Amino acid sequence: MATYLNQADRLLRPRERQLPTLQFLPLMVLFLGGFYGAIMGTYGGFTGERLWQVLYSATKVPLLLLATFSISLPSFFVLNTLVGLRSDFGKVLSALLATQAGMTIILASLSPYTVLWYLSFENYGQAIMFNGLMFGIASLTAQLILLKFYRPLIRQNKLHRLMLILWLILYAFVGIQMGWVLRPFIGSPNEPVEFFREESWGNAYEMVYQIFLRALGY
Amino acid sequence: MPILNALRELDQILRGEKTKPEALQKASLEISLRQILVMIILLGMLYGLCMSVFSMTQDYPGHEFQIVASMIKVPALFLLTLLITFPSLYVFNALVGSRFGVVELLRLIIASLGVALAMLGSLGLIVAFFSVSTTSYGFMILLNVFIFSVSGFLGLKFLLQTLHRMSILAAREETDSKAKQNEAESPSPNEGQNFEIEIIPESAKETGPLAKLYGPILSGEVKTVFRCWIVVFGLVGAQMSWVLRPFIGDPNSEFAWFRPRSSNFFEAVMNTFFNLF
Repeated sequence: MATYLNQADRLLRPRERQLPTLQFLPLMVLFLGGFYGAIMGTYGGFTGERLWQVLYSATKVPLLLLATFSISLPSFFVLNTLVGLRSDFGKVLSALLATQAGMTIILASLSPYTVLWYLSFENYGQAIMFNGLMFGIASLTAQLILLKFYRPLIRQNKLHRLMLILWLILYAFVGIQMGWVLRPFIGSPNEPVEFFREESWGNAYEMVYQIFLRALGY
Repeated sequence: MPILNALRELDQILRGEKTKPEALQKASLEISLRQILVMIILLGMLYGLCMSVFSMTQDYPGHEFQIVASMIKVPALFLLTLLITFPSLYVFNALVGSRFGVVELLRLIIASLGVALAMLGSLGLIVAFFSVSTTSYGFMILLNVFIFSVSGFLGLKFLLQTLHRMSILAAREETDSKAKQNEAESPSPNEGQNFEIEIIPESAKETGPLAKLYGPILSGEVKTVFRCWIVVFGLVGAQMSWVLRPFIGDPNSEFAWFRPRSSNFFEAVMNTFFNLF
C-alpha cells in the first residue's frame, strides 16, 4: 500500500530520475479508475440489481481509458517512427501511461464530491452533468502531468510538440466514441441495469451533430 | 521467420535508416523488393479485415463474403494503381534524363507504398473499433476515405523527401568531381570550397525519413515529373477505389464483388458527405 502511495506521489511530482515505475501505471489505472467507477455507479443505490451497476461502472472506467489508449497507440507509434523519434518512444510511452494513471488519481481524489452530490441531489440529468464535470477537470489537469513529462522531450526535439498535439486529437477522437459506446456509466433509475445499452451502437459524432441541428431548430 | 525479416526491412524504412545520406550514397535504395511487397500485401489485408468488420455487424445477404473481398481488394487497390501509373512514370523520367533505372525507380515507389501501408495498417484498429460501434454507413465511408488520404499523403511525402535527399547527394557528387577536375587543371585551394553544399550534420540527432535536409535541388525536371505523378497517382487511386467498390459493404443492398459502372469517386464522396446528416 505504502509503495503504491509513494508511486502515486512520484507521478504527481515527477522529478528528474525519479519517474514512477512503468508496471505500476496500468495497475493504478485499473484500481483507481475502478474505484471512481464504483463510486459513480452507486447513483442508483446498492439494493438488489443496482449493485451490478456498481460493478459494471467499476470495470467500464478503466476499460474506457485502457482501450482508448491501446487502440490509438499503434498509429501513434508509426507516426513517431516516421518523424524520427523512435529512440524516444520509451519515454513517450511512460509519459502517456503516466497521464492515464494521473487522471485516475485525480478522479479518485474527486470521488468524495461525487458521493456528496449523490447524497444531496436526486436528478439523473444533473448527476450526469456532475460526473461529466469531474471527468473534465480530471482530463484537463492530467494534461499538466503530460506536459511535465513532455517538456524535456520538446526541448530536445521540436517535433515532439507536433506529436503531442496529434496524440491529443487521436485520443479524443477515439475516446469520445469509446465513452459513447460504453454507456451507461451511471445507470438511469428508470431503466433496468445492463452492461451495454441496446440502442447505444450509434455514433457519438452523428448524435452531437443531430443535437446541434435540433438546437438550431431544424 | 521470413515474416519477421520482412517486418524488420519495413521498419528500417520507417526509421529512415534506408534513406540516410550515407545509405543513399552507395546506389539507389537498398531494399528487398520482395519483402516490402509481402509487407504491403499483408498490411493491406489487415486493413481490409478491419474495414470489413462493419459488414460483419450488418445483416444483409452474403455479408460474410465482404471480409474476403475487402482483404483482397485493399492490397489490389494499391498494386493496381501502381501498375497503371508506373509505366508512364518511368517513360517520363527517362525523357527528362533522370538516372533512375526501372528497378531503382520501382524500389523507391515500393518503399513509399510501404510507408503508406504501415500507416494504414496501424490505423486499422481505430477503423475496426468505429466499425463495431457505428451503424452509420456514410460515416464509415468518410472515415475510411480520410484514413486512406492521410496514409497516402505520408507515403508520397516520403517519396518526395527521399527524392530531395537523392538530388542533394547527386549535386554534391557532381561538385566534388568538378572540384577534382579543377584541382587537376589549376590547383587553387579555395575554388572547390565554393561549391560545397552543406548538409546538416546527422551525428547528433536521429532523423526520420520525413525530416527535411537542406540544400539546393539539382534535377528540377525530375522532381516536376514526380510531382505530376503524385497527383496522377492520387487521382487514379481514388478512381480505382471506386471501380473496386464495395470495400465496406452497403447494408441496404446485397453483397456483390463489384458494382455496375456509374458515377465517379469524387461525386460519390461529395454525395455521401451531404447525405450524412
